[in-house]
Amino acid sequence: MLEAKELTKKYEDGVIALDHLNLKVESGEIFCMFGANGAGKTTAINLFLNFIPPTEGTVFIEGIDMIKEPLKAKDFVSFVSENVTLYGNFSAFQNINYFSKLAGKRNLTRDDYSNVMKRVGLQEEAFNMRTKNFSKGMRQKLGIAIAIIKDAPNIILDEPTSGLDPKSGQEFLVLLSELRDLGKSIFMSTHDIFRAKFVADRVGFMQKGKLVMLKSKEELAGEDLNQLYIEYMHEHANS
Amino acid sequence: MLRDIITKEIQDTIMSPKFVFTFLLCTILILISVYTGINTYQSEQKEYSAAVALNRKNLDSQASYQTLAGVGVKINREPQVLSTVVSGVQEAVGRQATVNIAFDPNLVDSKFSSNPIFAVFGALDLTFIVKIVLSLFAILFTYDAIVGEKERGTLKLALSNKVPRDRLILGKAIGGFVSLLIPLVIPMVLGLIILMLYPNISLSGEDWGRIGLIFLMFLLYLSVFFTLGLFVSSRTSRSSTSFLLLLFIWVTFVTIIPKAAVMAAGQIKPIPSVHEITAQKDAYLQEVQKEAIAEQTAYFKENPTPKDQAKVPQWREDVKLWLEEFQQRMTSKLDERNAAIEREYQTKVRGQQKMAVNLSRISPASALMFSTMSLAKTGISEYERFLNSIRTYKPIFTKWINEKMMRSLNLSGGQQPTPELDDMPHHEFTAETFGDSFSRVLPDLVLMVFLIILFFVGAFVSFSKYDVR
Ligand SMILES: Nc1ncnc2c1ncn2[C@@H]1O[C@H](COP(=O)(O)OP(=O)(O)O)[C@@H](O)[C@H]1O
Ligand SMILES: [Mg+2]
Repeated sequence: MLEAKELTKKYEDGVIALDHLNLKVESGEIFCMFGANGAGKTTAINLFLNFIPPTEGTVFIEGIDMIKEPLKAKDFVSFVSENVTLYGNFSAFQNINYFSKLAGKRNLTRDDYSNVMKRVGLQEEAFNMRTKNFSKGMRQKLGIAIAIIKDAPNIILDEPTSGLDPKSGQEFLVLLSELRDLGKSIFMSTHDIFRAKFVADRVGFMQKGKLVMLKSKEELAGEDLNQLYIEYMHEHANS
Repeated sequence: MLRDIITKEIQDTIMSPKFVFTFLLCTILILISVYTGINTYQSEQKEYSAAVALNRKNLDSQASYQTLAGVGVKINREPQVLSTVVSGVQEAVGRQATVNIAFDPNLVDSKFSSNPIFAVFGALDLTFIVKIVLSLFAILFTYDAIVGEKERGTLKLALSNKVPRDRLILGKAIGGFVSLLIPLVIPMVLGLIILMLYPNISLSGEDWGRIGLIFLMFLLYLSVFFTLGLFVSSRTSRSSTSFLLLLFIWVTFVTIIPKAAVMAAGQIKPIPSVHEITAQKDAYLQEVQKEAIAEQTAYFKENPTPKDQAKVPQWREDVKLWLEEFQQRMTSKLDERNAAIEREYQTKVRGQQKMAVNLSRISPASALMFSTMSLAKTGISEYERFLNSIRTYKPIFTKWINEKMMRSLNLSGGQQPTPELDDMPHHEFTAETFGDSFSRVLPDLVLMVFLIILFFVGAFVSFSKYDVR
């Protein structure tokens, strides 16, 4: 379970990137946060993971205050960042091995790594390849594999589908729903409203740091997505 | 977890192309440097032995004490075995001094003066390689230590786990340092083995102690740049900025501060030119000579050759005694005065030098130069000690030769006796002791340790507040 309470971020230059966000993602739920570039999605995620201090409010991960006890809380959350490049001189194996060690998973075997990487759709030829030769989509998949292998109850993803081709994007969404069915709380930011609506249990729309609208899957089904897109996602919506 | 971070850091570096490149270049450079160092030392050694033998022959072939007094004794500076690793000022300063009755001795005939092309680029000794090349590698290995991880997104990914920041930077520092040491230490050890196994190069226990300390200074110097790289890397948000900034600091440390310090010291504490000093000494020599002629004329006026032939032998004895006393008096007058001029001049020079050294010491590159030169006994201070030992020897020799000359004076003309060299006093010089050298380099050592701590704490603190995005 992931919860934000009155979460606010005002940058030094006065920009209020996140304005009193209140949100709860239950376990077994996929929450999609939509918003144009600069709406404040990444800022919210950076606050969830204590990468930056909030101006106001707090975050709870499995009931643990992320701001007060970040190290404790971080054990319960996996993260896929917007653009991971990983260690280019390392193979996929070496990368996943290092990060699973950091995640405290010390008893995993090469088979475990292989299984997860297969599961996210990474071709086997790539397992031993240096990741500097990976395409953006391959890196994204490896990043997702790294998040999955941590096996934390909460997963936070920042624009995970942005580098994926349509087929991989589809496979990824299937994977997400599998994880949800395992009881994970999933928070994902995206501006791909058309694709994400298939898996999202709940969606939020963000504009200029404010969560302006919340809709359930059922409510979303009856909406004109094109209209919503123009209204909330278009760059002009912010200016 | 710390171990995982360290291991990852080492693996990541070892697998990078820059590692292979560094390793190869270091190996080639260090081996070439040790090899040329040994070669230079051996040829210097040969020249030295030849010069010593020649001087000996020269001394033996002097026809009289008179000619010996004029030609004098030639003293050669012995090459230092540790110049194979730190050439210091060895090649820039004179190698030979002539001690005779008239002139104030000075070391002349440096290698640079006999072949100035060497002076253009200087020696390719280990100190040079460490100072210039390896310090650049230290920067190359660290400029993106933190900021690079940020740019790759791996910093966020790492810190989304239960990883304390202090653990992360500590692991990176240790791992990074180890992977920097691999391409440096292996070729250096290889170089030392060559030095050890090379025929005709013998290193005493003390020499090994000195080499150990020289290597410690190398290590500290590189650690300064390593921690500096870590520090700058944790204060910048782009790796290109970090690299440029480090390059700028490197240039300042390695080239600008040392030169500026010497220039500033020259401005603040000017010293008279060598020509002025020589002119002063020459003027005094002429003055003394004039005085001597006057006194001599006066003496012979007062004590003319007796008309009575029977009194002549006694008169001769008196003249001889007087002449010896007179000669001793004149030369020691000259020596004392020269010594005084020299002392005054040296005090000024030393004051300026001390200021230059201390000013430039803020740069670890200067600290490295001064400390390793002192340890290798190839530095300025050792050279000055040697020169002073010659200047101390000069009056001793003068006294002896005057005595001999006067005693053997044959006023009736005829054959002069050939010189007997058995009781001739010899020039002696003992090198600075290990303890003295060590206390000389202690400030440099302390300074480097201070910089390392400063930069590391800086990196630590900066990273604890570093914006990981
Ligand atoms: N470090 C920062 N300093 C000042 N403003 C920032 C900083 N980071 C982001 N912003 C601003 O905050 C707003 C939200 O940015 P962000 O969270 O990255 O948006 P999104 O991820 O939705 O595209 C933008 O207006 C952006 O310019
Ligand atoms: Mg974003």
